[in-house]
Amino acid sequence: MSLTTPLRRSAATTARVSTSTTFICSQCRHATLLRRPKRPYTFTQLITLSDGSTFTQRTTSPAPVYRSTRDTRNSLLWNPSSSKLLNIEDDEAGRLAAFRAKFGRSWDANTPVEGEEAKTPTDKKDGKQSEEEAAAEAAAAQEEEDNLLDLISSFGQDEHDGRSGKKK
Amino acid sequence: MSSGSNGARRIASVLRPSIANPGVCRSCQEKTLGRRSYAAAATNTAEISSSPSSTTAFPVIKPSYTINAGVLLSRPPQITRDLTPFEKAYFFYQKRLNERLALPFTKYFYFKRGTPADEDWKRKIRERQTAARDIGKYNAYADDAWNDELLVGAAESEPDHQVEMLVQDAEATVNATSQDTSKKEEIPRPFSRMTEADQQGDMKSLNRALQRTLYLFVQSKDGYWKLPSSPIEKEETLRLAVERTLAQSAGVNMNTWLVGFHPVGHHVYNFKKPRLDEANGIEHRGEKTFYIKGRIMTGQADLTVNTQGLKDFKWLAKEEIPKFVGLTYYSNIKNMLADR
Repeated sequence: MSLTTPLRRSAATTARVSTSTTFICSQCRHATLLRRPKRPYTFTQLITLSDGSTFTQRTTSPAPVYRSTRDTRNSLLWNPSSSKLLNIEDDEAGRLAAFRAKFGRSWDANTPVEGEEAKTPTDKKDGKQSEEEAAAEAAAAQEEEDNLLDLISSFGQDEHDGRSGKKK
Repeated sequence: MSSGSNGARRIASVLRPSIANPGVCRSCQEKTLGRRSYAAAATNTAEISSSPSSTTAFPVIKPSYTINAGVLLSRPPQITRDLTPFEKAYFFYQKRLNERLALPFTKYFYFKRGTPADEDWKRKIRERQTAARDIGKYNAYADDAWNDELLVGAAESEPDHQVEMLVQDAEATVNATSQDTSKKEEIPRPFSRMTEADQQGDMKSLNRALQRTLYLFVQSKDGYWKLPSSPIEKEETLRLAVERTLAQSAGVNMNTWLVGFHPVGHHVYNFKKPRLDEANGIEHRGEKTFYIKGRIMTGQADLTVNTQGLKDFKWLAKEEIPKFVGLTYYSNIKNMLADR
């Protein structure tokens, strides 16, 4: 009983008691100062995506306009049917072409050789000749591959040749 | 989920015209049907025993309808809608209120002292009295900070005006801090919300009415407008029939996606006079068309290869549809259409 009484005190009694200096306020209901929330200052920013679509957003960055160069609008993952974003190699400096001129095209086996497409329609007319040609080409390709494999496997074994010969 | 089962139930009720009594509501109908199936089997048998006398009096004619598969092909809205004046005022009020409530902008965290960017920033702040560019001239720390309302006709709450202010600010910064003072840098403005097709009234373009959902309508050889539809063939599901309809009417040059396997709505067309087929004892009464929802991703309708004798097509928003289709047709399809 004695515990509950201070909580249920009327307004008049609180006013009287609060005048005394020794009173400890156990429960105050008067208004206190509302502090400013600790929120950072935010600006409105205009975002321009790579395809030109825009929207505004609130951000702490003071830059008024942001232009993105890479986003979902020009990523192949998000635009699987876009012909613009198809995997076409850009060879502005000509370094890939130079590499191909030097080492041939057998490295990128997936890409067709430029001359091959032009050749195929004429091949249909003289089938036998084309078959022979194809066989010859295949043989040449096989030989080249063997040469390359030899080159790779024989790399660094020249100096060991004498030793291995002795063992045998 | 509920809509799917709802649609299925509705179809079931439509497909059983002989049982369905138009004067009774759907739930009551189903209740009576269910009760009849197991609770009142006795009355059922009594009905059957009494029915032969009536059938002998009239020859049995089965009413039949042609079942069509239709597609509600739509293009979703591309941009957000325009704000109402109230929304504009509300957002503007919130921005100026936030100016009073948030912590002040910490300038030296972003701008190093004495740099051209810092000088430019100081000059601009003197001018507009606040760090924000889109709320007009307003000082949240002055004595009259309470006076945050706009006067009638002020453009500050317009989104277009706010975007223009942002772009102008960016341009001013670029021009003030660049070494080369001879040429003015121009920052591209956002594209207009009205496209070229809107201005020309081109209803075939998919680039029109960017804020609205557009629906594909085709004109049949008789001259009336409808959603693409065709009769379901034998051994064909509704979905397959819709895919075939789409390919036959609007061409294959569209990347589309059909939403689900259930129809979203139906349209019943009764002939003025039922056509009687004496040989089979079938009374042909009309057509029932069931629509499946579809979305177009890319591509465009192409009627040059259509096999249904279609003459023309249009992409229409919801309020434009009643100008082209009949009243009953519109009342049947209008609940399938989105508001925006």
